[in-house]
Amino acid sequence: MTPRGRFLVATLSGLVLAGLVHVATVLLIPGLAQSDALSRARSGESLDHPLAVNTVATGDTAPPIEAWLPIPDPAVAVGLCAYNLGEGPMRVSARTGTLMLSLAVHGPRGAFYAVTDQAAVRGALDLVVLTRAQYDEALANADEDEVSHDVRIVAGEVRGFVVVRVIAALPSQRAAADAAVQAVSCTVDSPSDDRTGG
Amino acid sequence: MHVLRQGVHRASILSLVLYALALGAGIGLVTADYATRGGYPFGGVRVGAWTAWPKVGSVGADPYSRAVNARRGEIPLAVGEGMLLTAEQDESGRGLDATCTYRVAGVTPPARAWTVTVAGRGPRDSEAAPMREGFTATEILRETDGQFVITLSPEVQAGNWLPMPRAKGAVRLALRLYDTPVAASAGNLDRTSVPAITRTGCTP
Repeated sequence: MTPRGRFLVATLSGLVLAGLVHVATVLLIPGLAQSDALSRARSGESLDHPLAVNTVATGDTAPPIEAWLPIPDPAVAVGLCAYNLGEGPMRVSARTGTLMLSLAVHGPRGAFYAVTDQAAVRGALDLVVLTRAQYDEALANADEDEVSHDVRIVAGEVRGFVVVRVIAALPSQRAAADAAVQAVSCTVDSPSDDRTGG
Repeated sequence: MHVLRQGVHRASILSLVLYALALGAGIGLVTADYATRGGYPFGGVRVGAWTAWPKVGSVGADPYSRAVNARRGEIPLAVGEGMLLTAEQDESGRGLDATCTYRVAGVTPPARAWTVTVAGRGPRDSEAAPMREGFTATEILRETDGQFVITLSPEVQAGNWLPMPRAKGAVRLALRLYDTPVAASAGNLDRTSVPAITRTGCTP
């Protein structure tokens, strides 16, 4: 093979390699990222209320540094509850008010469920995120006489987060929107609570 | 002599292999960085001057959208929650510029709530919060037929004035629809169902 032929082969294999590196890098970024929402959410895993991601009632000051969203909607308060289903099912309870509220369940691969306050039953929205095994267990233990208003969502992965968004349609509602996000409770549902409650 | 030639041959093979590896790693990493920096590279649906992003937050999002979300720390809207539309150009295809005045007029697709916001690329000019970054569906002033006109301008305007977020450079608009049925069928949107963006003038 001539030197030029060898150089051509090397260039071509370099380009093929570039394609492989490109695809592999793009696929690896979500898993390796350290500043993505899933990684940042973990700092709020022990909280029983949402971690404030974007507060809208900031007055004349610029948004705080910990608000990491790149271009947040200035009229929407965002909170985030991280879950780790290894500790038990996650229960998200919201009381609906006059402000529009939505809950979205995100896994490592993206959002797989979303519900707004229009699905609330008597002003309460109860979302339980569980694994397939926990779901089967909950079904087996369910009391047939008792009507449950829980919305049960089976998550494919153990870790993820629930995003709470409350929209302040008017600037005067911004403080209420921040408060509405903080009023949502995110707790680990333990089976013993169910028995005493029922 | 023969040994020397063999040595040269081996060295050139080694340097070619190194060259191929460096080329592959370099081009691969640079293009991956370029494709996942800033906005979503694909997955958008063009509607007039706007681009709708119905799937960027769902499990069916393409790997590039997921990588962009991860790098930016973005929490995208889920399909049942709402939809994001962005605009970087006006109706005639010219980029939105901070020194120009634009008329954003018309109607929005059906939604329980929507917001229009303006932002420049990169960090803010000043630390202070801007006077106004956007409008919500409730606070906007409308015509008698329900249509609205937002004037995006660096100068003070009557009506729905949206100030430019910075003195110069490219800006972009975001229209967020909350609790909207169109997120599941963004392909059916046509340009009459989104606000038209027209340039009315520029300050030199």
